[in-house]
Amino acid sequence: MQEAKSKKIEPRTTKGDYIARARRLNLSDEQLVEFFSTMCTIRQFELMADKLYAMGKVHGTMHLSAGQEAVAVGTFRAVRVDDYVLNHHRGHGHFIAKGADINRMMAEFLGKDTGYCRGRGGSMHIADVEANNLGANGIVGGGIPQSVGVGLALQMKKLDQICVVLFGDGAANEGVFHESLNMAALWSLPVLFICENNKYGMSMDVEHATAKLPIAQRAEAYGMPWAYVDGNDVLEVYETMIEATRHVRSGRGPVLVEAVTYRYFGHSKSDRNLYRTKDEIEDWKKHRDPILRFKGHLLHAGIFDEAKAAEIDAEALNVIEKAVEFAEASPEPDLSTLTEFVYA
Amino acid sequence: MPVPFIMPKFDMDQEKATIISWEKHEGDTVRMDETVLTVETDKVSMEVPCPADGVLAGIKYQNGDTVPVTTVIAYVLKPGETVADLPRDKIPASAPKPEVAPPPLAEVSAAAVASVAATPVAVRMAKEEGVDLAKVQASGNRITREDVEHYLVEKVKPAGRVAVAATPAARRVARERDIPLEAVAGSGPRGRVQAADVAAFQSPHQPIFVSGDARPADVVPLIGIRQRIAERMQSSFQELPHIALTIEVDVTELEAARRRLNELAMKQSHGKVSMTALLVKITAWALKRNPYVNSSLVGDQIHLWRDVNIGIATALDEGLIVPVIRQANEKSIRQIVDALDNLTSRARDGKLTLADVQQGTFTISNLGMFGIRQFRAIINPPESAILAVGTMIRKPVVINERDEVAVRPSMTLTLSADHRVIDGVVAARFLNDLMLAIETPETLLY
Amino acid sequence: MPEMTYLEAIRQALWDEMKRDERVFLIGEDIGRYGGAFGLTHGMLDEFGPERVRETPISEPTIVGAALGAALVGMRPVAEMMFMDFTLLTLDQLGNQAAKVRFMFGGKATAPMVIRMPGGSGTGAAAQHSQSLESLLMHIPGLKVVNPSTPYDAKGLMLSSIRDPNPVCFIEHKLLYKTKGEVPEGDYTVPIGVSEVKRQGRDLTIVANNVMVVRTLKVAEKLAGEGIEVEVIDPRTMRPMDTETIIESVCKTGRLLVIHEACQTGGWAGEVIAAITGSRAFDYLDAPARRLAGKDIPIPYNRALERAAVPQEEDIEREIRAIASGQY
Repeated sequence: MQEAKSKKIEPRTTKGDYIARARRLNLSDEQLVEFFSTMCTIRQFELMADKLYAMGKVHGTMHLSAGQEAVAVGTFRAVRVDDYVLNHHRGHGHFIAKGADINRMMAEFLGKDTGYCRGRGGSMHIADVEANNLGANGIVGGGIPQSVGVGLALQMKKLDQICVVLFGDGAANEGVFHESLNMAALWSLPVLFICENNKYGMSMDVEHATAKLPIAQRAEAYGMPWAYVDGNDVLEVYETMIEATRHVRSGRGPVLVEAVTYRYFGHSKSDRNLYRTKDEIEDWKKHRDPILRFKGHLLHAGIFDEAKAAEIDAEALNVIEKAVEFAEASPEPDLSTLTEFVYA
Repeated sequence: MPVPFIMPKFDMDQEKATIISWEKHEGDTVRMDETVLTVETDKVSMEVPCPADGVLAGIKYQNGDTVPVTTVIAYVLKPGETVADLPRDKIPASAPKPEVAPPPLAEVSAAAVASVAATPVAVRMAKEEGVDLAKVQASGNRITREDVEHYLVEKVKPAGRVAVAATPAARRVARERDIPLEAVAGSGPRGRVQAADVAAFQSPHQPIFVSGDARPADVVPLIGIRQRIAERMQSSFQELPHIALTIEVDVTELEAARRRLNELAMKQSHGKVSMTALLVKITAWALKRNPYVNSSLVGDQIHLWRDVNIGIATALDEGLIVPVIRQANEKSIRQIVDALDNLTSRARDGKLTLADVQQGTFTISNLGMFGIRQFRAIINPPESAILAVGTMIRKPVVINERDEVAVRPSMTLTLSADHRVIDGVVAARFLNDLMLAIETPETLLY
Repeated sequence: MPEMTYLEAIRQALWDEMKRDERVFLIGEDIGRYGGAFGLTHGMLDEFGPERVRETPISEPTIVGAALGAALVGMRPVAEMMFMDFTLLTLDQLGNQAAKVRFMFGGKATAPMVIRMPGGSGTGAAAQHSQSLESLLMHIPGLKVVNPSTPYDAKGLMLSSIRDPNPVCFIEHKLLYKTKGEVPEGDYTVPIGVSEVKRQGRDLTIVANNVMVVRTLKVAEKLAGEGIEVEVIDPRTMRPMDTETIIESVCKTGRLLVIHEACQTGGWAGEVIAAITGSRAFDYLDAPARRLAGKDIPIPYNRALERAAVPQEEDIEREIRAIASGQY
């Protein structure tokens, strides 16, 4: 970690044996298996979401994060449980990684009264305010300014929590992104800005939308440290976030991390993937899938075998299926409560 | 098909009538033109004749009900018909259930269409206007052109909405006090009725003193003739700018003439000649000479009437009624006396017809018999003037240019006139003519 | 009771509340050494320090967004829009975020925040610094909209606004800043959602907000000399609006005129009139319910044009006379 501001954070352990890196980061076998297991849970949640949608059980649209699981798990295993989080559309994985109750998530997804937001938010607006999860935002970049306020409050209260805000490559071109980075840097606020660059906004390729890449380098304009990481390598994400959170939590101001990843599903359910080829999607799935890659390393190191991996994935599916059962058995919100929650 | 029995319309401006009593009852055999019930309009009570021979059935309204004209109030069943033949939605709840089940619906309508009795003109008109004759109410035995026209008019009328410009507050006050908005003169922009207009309309009937435990000795509902008088007097006094002029006349000569005429009447066994009869004769003569006093203001036109129809304000227990002596200017004193006797006795018996009280052009109100010296009357619209006659008293008067005083019978005549039509000078000239004829009765022979 | 200006009353409320509650802080542009564009926060930097008188870069959306973020984690921010017009820059954070966060998250989040916004014309500031946008803000469920017309109400409502657990748009009128009135020392609140009858009258109910209250009261006094008694109601809070007081008044007077400086089309006068015609007061209306509002134009610069763009005393007088005589 460089002291100088506006310096790229270079993970120091990029070379050498993969599992040796994990050891240097003090990660146990159990922790590594848990990384894998949580990524499986996220993947199964997203696959189930897609299935439920096809079955006509989902009322609105949704934005699935299959393919991006390593960013979620790498990030939320690096931050503290009591840190605050704000995110945007593609947030299912973040919440699962942060430890959300899958049942309540699924119930919200199906618009039920037992959901996190009692059926008011849906897929796009899941929040668990009590767990310092301040919610997913449906406006691209809409949560970024709020992270400044959360950081400001934490600083004023002299607390050692930080605020993590996750957004996409598209959001980085919103005006509030720049305003917020400037303000957070100006006041050295404890905010960790994480840009999940999954290559596309809705359909627009990041290279056609952004004058200069990488996005993370924009941090230099605000005198902030930044990092550009392989978002499909959970260990690299984890390692970078450990570095970044240490910086942010120390009171030296915000950090911007760009994690390059890829989404398998379309932007939302109406997306027919006309802007990219099947080959491109298949190539990412086959060669760069975060779960397959991580599983390969664990198998190679003998941390588990194929049978155990399959068992873990089956258990993940089981958890998701139970969540669907819970959600489907849950009551709809009472119509008489329609106008509640507008004002406190 | 049973013949519908409708509430007849007697008068141009009549909208409803109240059933006073049914003379015939459900199931009674009735004959055409026989009196079936008595109703009261705001002017008179009327006997309503039966529209057909048959059996009275399906009576929908009871004594005391006020019913809009042309509403079906009952039916007359023709031979072979039973209550089952009554239009089904019109059977009152109290009516006995038809004993025979009605035939299937399709057959009924086919039969109904075939049996609709209508004049050829009505059939053609219904065809042209796309009117289903089965829906048209016949006012008589057959549907006429008028019935079809009436149906068309009713169809386009918005239901239950009186097209009077009035504020919501005015409508509320009218609703609360049961005042017909159309009877209230609006003082708002473009004649809109304001709440205050409705309140003022009502105010004469409000008790003047209302204290905590004060109770009226009796409460008389403002209905029928009383209500009509109230409305007419209220609107007349509010809408017509009244002027009143009084003249005092010496009745020595008229009294002498009356004595001579009565001697004549006695010889011929005729009824006595009243002062009122003489005043009608003289007034008719004076009205002919002053046509504006015998007129009506209709919209922006003043109608000067050819006939002189003089109404005589007559007090009945239920209220005031004004029987009319038609073409009084064409009648002899004898004829006037007979007409007056006839009208007065029928008025006391409640037997006046609508024709007896219609088309007056001027009114005389005589309170002389009650010792009233002088008073002002309110004009009876659409007339333009009314003459108020005071009692005859004997009093000393100067009788010549030498200021000699003698006791003479004298009375006051007060003319209330609608100033929009009658100027003060016109009114004065009319009163002077009356004075001339009263003080010199032979003027009428001149 | 001490007299002070509307501006001083608001400052005193902020000052007192920051003394009382350490969660309260100010955030906005040039609110420190400069004291805010109108000097309202003058002296507060020295008293409370730069952390609680938080001067920002010129980034309105993020000022509101940051206020929201801080509110979500327990602070009580009071953000300042230098001019109400700049609120339009922040509509995402205000309308999509602050207004909806509680509802969207099923009642779990609260956003106790105040956004101060000086609005209104009359200072020659032209089209982008003179708007009255209360109707626009009122339309968004989740926001409260407050606009006091007197120093007393300004202090009392500001204290209520800061203590309210919802986002409150606190609209100040620039022409009112120098108006004076009695303001009690110490702590008192004027409740949000309660209107006030500023003047009793039997002939006509006038509902007006901020500077229009002042103008209407002047005209009302003048016409009282001629026997026309106008009742003047200041809603004080545009949302939630206390329509019951207006309904009561219209039931008494039978006539309603709503006056606002905001442009007529889509203006809140329509909302009040709809509330009246849809209530029991309809049956008491003895004249058409009328409105007198700003012209449907941006505020012009030229003094005469600017004056003519919004209702002035003579316009109010003319309208009252028209209603009194039925000449409309």
